[in-house]
Amino acid sequence: MSIFTPTNQIRLTNVAVVRMKKAGKRFEIACYKNKVMSWRSGAEKDLDEVLQTHTVFVNVSKGQVAKRDDLSSAFGTEDLTEACTQILAKGELQVSDRERQSQLEHMFRDIATIVAEKCVNPETKRPYTVILIERVIKQLQQSIQIQRAHMRLRFVLPARDGKRLKEKLRPLIKTVENEDFTEQLEMVCLIDPGCFRDIDELIRCETKGKGTLEVLSLKDVEEGDEKLE
Amino acid sequence: MGHTSLEKIIALQKKTPHIRNLCILAHVDHGKTTLADCLVASNGIISSRLAGKLRYLDSREDEQIRGITMKSSAISLHYTTGNEYLINLIDSPGHVDFSSEVSTAVRLCDGAIVVVDAVEGVCPQTQVVLRQAWLENIRPVLVINKIDRLIVELKLTSQEAYTHLQKILEQVNAVTGSLFTSKVLEERAEKDAEAQSSCTENGSGDQVYDWSAGLEETDDSDLYFSPDRGNVVFASAIDGWGFSIHQFAEMYSQKMGIRSSVLLKTLWGDFYLNAKAKKIMKGAQSKGKKPLFVQLVLDNIWSMYDAVVTRRDKEKVEKMVTSLGLKVMSRDLRHSDPKVLLSAICSQWLPVSQAVLSMVCEKLPSPAEISAERVEKLMSVGARRFDSLPEQTQELKKAFLDCSADETAPVIVFVSKMFAVDSKALPQNKQRPLTQEEIAQRREQARQRHAERQAANQSAETLKGTELNMLPTALSVKTAVEEDNKEHFVAFARVYSGVLRKGQKVFVLGPKYDPSLLPEGCSAADVLPSVPHMACCTVDSLYLLMGRELEELDEVPTGNVLGIGGMEEFILKSATISTSPSCPPFTPLNFEATPIVRVAVEPKHPSEMPKLVRGMRLLNQADPCAEVLIQETGEHVLVTAGEVHLQRCLDDLRERFAKIEISASKPIIPFRETVIRPPKVDMVNEDMGKQQKVAVIHQVKEEQTKYPEGVQVDSTGLVTLTTPNKMATVGVRAIPLPEEVTRLLEDNVELIRTMEQFSLFAWEDKTLDINQKILENIQEFKVKLESNLQGRKWRGAVERIWAFGPRRCGPNILLNSVEGYRRPSVWQCLEREKETEKAEIRDFDNSIASGFQLATLSGPMCEEPLMGVCFSVETWDMKLSAPLAQQDSIDEDSQTAEPNIDNQNESSDTHETNASSASSNRSRSGAEAAGSSVDCYGPFSGQLIAAMKEACRYAFQAKPQRLMAAMYTCEIMATAEVLGRVYAVLSKREGRVLQEEMKEGTDMFIIKAVLPVAESFGFADEIRKRTSGLASPQLVFSHWEVISSDPFWVPTTEEEYLHFGEKADSSNQALKYMNAVRRRKGLYVEEKIVEHAEKQRTLSKNK
Repeated sequence: MSIFTPTNQIRLTNVAVVRMKKAGKRFEIACYKNKVMSWRSGAEKDLDEVLQTHTVFVNVSKGQVAKRDDLSSAFGTEDLTEACTQILAKGELQVSDRERQSQLEHMFRDIATIVAEKCVNPETKRPYTVILIERVIKQLQQSIQIQRAHMRLRFVLPARDGKRLKEKLRPLIKTVENEDFTEQLEMVCLIDPGCFRDIDELIRCETKGKGTLEVLSLKDVEEGDEKLE
Repeated sequence: MGHTSLEKIIALQKKTPHIRNLCILAHVDHGKTTLADCLVASNGIISSRLAGKLRYLDSREDEQIRGITMKSSAISLHYTTGNEYLINLIDSPGHVDFSSEVSTAVRLCDGAIVVVDAVEGVCPQTQVVLRQAWLENIRPVLVINKIDRLIVELKLTSQEAYTHLQKILEQVNAVTGSLFTSKVLEERAEKDAEAQSSCTENGSGDQVYDWSAGLEETDDSDLYFSPDRGNVVFASAIDGWGFSIHQFAEMYSQKMGIRSSVLLKTLWGDFYLNAKAKKIMKGAQSKGKKPLFVQLVLDNIWSMYDAVVTRRDKEKVEKMVTSLGLKVMSRDLRHSDPKVLLSAICSQWLPVSQAVLSMVCEKLPSPAEISAERVEKLMSVGARRFDSLPEQTQELKKAFLDCSADETAPVIVFVSKMFAVDSKALPQNKQRPLTQEEIAQRREQARQRHAERQAANQSAETLKGTELNMLPTALSVKTAVEEDNKEHFVAFARVYSGVLRKGQKVFVLGPKYDPSLLPEGCSAADVLPSVPHMACCTVDSLYLLMGRELEELDEVPTGNVLGIGGMEEFILKSATISTSPSCPPFTPLNFEATPIVRVAVEPKHPSEMPKLVRGMRLLNQADPCAEVLIQETGEHVLVTAGEVHLQRCLDDLRERFAKIEISASKPIIPFRETVIRPPKVDMVNEDMGKQQKVAVIHQVKEEQTKYPEGVQVDSTGLVTLTTPNKMATVGVRAIPLPEEVTRLLEDNVELIRTMEQFSLFAWEDKTLDINQKILENIQEFKVKLESNLQGRKWRGAVERIWAFGPRRCGPNILLNSVEGYRRPSVWQCLEREKETEKAEIRDFDNSIASGFQLATLSGPMCEEPLMGVCFSVETWDMKLSAPLAQQDSIDEDSQTAEPNIDNQNESSDTHETNASSASSNRSRSGAEAAGSSVDCYGPFSGQLIAAMKEACRYAFQAKPQRLMAAMYTCEIMATAEVLGRVYAVLSKREGRVLQEEMKEGTDMFIIKAVLPVAESFGFADEIRKRTSGLASPQLVFSHWEVISSDPFWVPTTEEEYLHFGEKADSSNQALKYMNAVRRRKGLYVEEKIVEHAEKQRTLSKNK
């Protein structure tokens, strides 16, 4: 049966409906698919590329147009385009397939980038590339050695607090690189960035502001290129 | 000739004058390996039937598949003509990508066989190899190969072939000639320069007259190839024949009774035979006679091909065979393929190996004849003159020249490359035929095992436990096997003096070793003092290189090519080995191709990273030309000489060194972000400002989205931002730095770092000692900065520098323009003596600097570091609340209250500390304390850092932003005919030609151009392909350059509309780069998901 058989069910194609309830009324506008998010993010600047028609509906699929009175009471204007832009900006919509896909991709990339930025290979102290991280995340059964990049701190504590504080700081510090306890305790150490606030707080409270804390580097990574030889 | 025994070769190795070290050089596909095959066959290592087809020296699988040689490999051959000779033959690759392998081969030789295709003539690589041979001072001989193609393919007559061959010979000699000329000119120029410097009063007028004198004076006649000199062989390696004029001269002198010396002189050239007068006359061409060469030599070969291949005349063939006195097997006579018969006849009549090897033995020098000039060249590294070397070292020259195999002579060995060998191929591990007892023993073992297995099967159900016990043993066996598969490195080397013995203690001198640094009097036996680039080791094992096989040796006397095992710990790529520590390292190899194709490699399975790194290390060692490095971004980058080379490296990584799956991709390209002065003209070069901006769709939403709440931007680009808790407000302005300043900052990173360290110490009231030299440098740097920062805007700017960034030493400046705030300058290390007026540091000074560091580390455009931007802090107000102040005053209890100097801050709480007052309390401790006022926004210092960072970013965005691209300078050598194509490729890739000049004495042009790194992938390869290898670029990173186009540009004026259209879809280079980076980093890219709303598929899915 290749003859076109009409059905009583009419489907809208290439239409994304944006709804908004305002002043007790429901308003809808007919937009193109995959375009509303672009408009909201500012990538699409041409309104005609977003709206199918500059008309505000009560129900798009039934073709019921909103009444002029309702419009003016809800939006304070009778200008249809103005009403449309308001609905576009604030209304709710069903995110369409490609928009969702690009959102997910974007988020995935974002996560991978953050991981790659914050973490290092503990053996080489060098970051992993984003592509590698992505691949690891996708194939979950695999694992690589990864470690949050350490923060390098330097603090100077007055002698009388030094000993006491050192014990308290001990569990928060990963590695001590340099320690000098002559008239005051001076330490350069690597910590997990998550502990920074604790350490900061501890030093501030315990020494009543006499200890100094300085961040030498936010993340401890190897700098420069290394020739493999 | 039978298989030469190992003992024979060992005996021959001791006779230095009878050794010939030579390599075969040619353009790709001119028949090097085929020729080598013929020579190998002459020693009975392979069947002469297979010669030319087997390509014995191409031992790698991909070499066999692709049909090109990829590595140089050596084989020792034995040859007898009255005297016995040992010939160490090295076959080299012809492809451009592997010219590094050629360099390694050439270094170890004394002579070279240059092969030229009789049809193709001189090709680019022929020129290259001739140059390489020239540079290494080794003597070449010529083989014109594939003469059969002239007969069978081109169907030339013998007369035509003769002229053709003459032409080829001329071409080759032209190349040699130009090399010679350029050398003479160079020497002359040097001499001139010396003369000029010595007697400047002499007018330069007389120089003009004798410009050609240098050329005429220098004798060049022995450089050229000519058959009558006996250094040319005509051959067809595939058919197994080859001859030199010498052979024919001998033959005919017997037959015709003409003296062979006369024939030798006249057989090549414009001579003809006057049959009546029985005389050889000159001027064959003008009289229309057949030259002697055609009549006596070529005609014979032509008629042979005619009879055997073309007409297949059996009777005639038989007649010829008998007249030549050859014996041809009837099997060959009956063979359907005429080529078989042909090679059967020819290889007996004119065996190519005979011709080539006798020429080699006669014409090429033995190791003992090494020239003093070459020795000096080898020994003087870099620009150092030979006479500047230490005395002891100079004495070694004698050892070189003597080339003696005495016990007392110092051992000097040069290792030109390391190559990987499967441990299975090592002679120690090779399978040998089993003796009778061994076989019996094994049989016994097998029987036992069988019995055990049967016993185990019977009790399998009952005794599961035993199996478990056996499991670990099985595992250990497996690991043992893996251990066995380890790659072993063998050093490809040559002994230049003395005798290298197994178990001998020697010094391994790296390429950067300097004998003049050596402490007095120490020898290999001593315990080694730590000298840079020097190691001491024991020679593990010595090998004779026989193509794919290795034979173990106990000692190798001077003049021989050998393999040394167990050196991988000490030698990276090349090295010099000697028993005398005063031996200088040899000059580095001349590489014609430098690595330029960069790719990032990653393992398919990320967990295999360590394997990859290990594999890359091995690859680096095994390949003279490949480079591997880990970049700051964490990428593992492999740099190779070309695409074919890359392919081989990847194959090697996959199958030999890493044994994992890997993938290669383009590496990450770095960018920088900067601001520029507002441009005066728009994109269509119209004056800006005068024109009316057309109302545009682009501007509809822009203004509202740009700045969030709390940020004020005035028209001059001053950005004011308040911290979330409303305590502090900073005002920042971004100013572009002049280009010279940026460069200055970049060049003086080390100085800045020192200054930074000094300030840090001063902060702690300690002092750092900086030596006078560095202080002077800093002073000079400061003066330079001042001279470059002129004008009203920059008045006193240098003194007011607050910090450099990112990472405290980058090419961006933080300027303190806060009224009334005088902090210690970054130059305090210079002013130590002066004890300047007391400068104070405000609270949270560090936070502002940190904010600046963060902002400069990643810019707003695509999170790449900034460059050449100055952030000027113009206002900085703080309103610290009362509780904070109290807390601070508690902190300050030990400190005497100081009067508040700073009037600008009304709040009394900003305590001022003297930077010079040596109390244990410092302002920063107070700062940290103040930060403890915990509000919902976190510590105050953090807030200020964030506020400062944001302020910098907005200030940056308020100015016209530009992207900076890394640029390569690229130097291209090209001949005149391909110049046009070079330009085409350059312009396609956004390159810019800086200069173009002709190289003196040659027909080569040198083009200097700059090219963005982002466009450089495949550039070298494209140029090579488009110019058929006649131009080869060298890329070196040079500088950062601002990309002139604005990534955020949209057409706004009417003119621009006309020119670019409404959307300006015509590619914006900067935008393209920026979006690529943003996409890679997962940042938001302003891109529509669908470009055209109407052009989507309009049907819903379920229909």
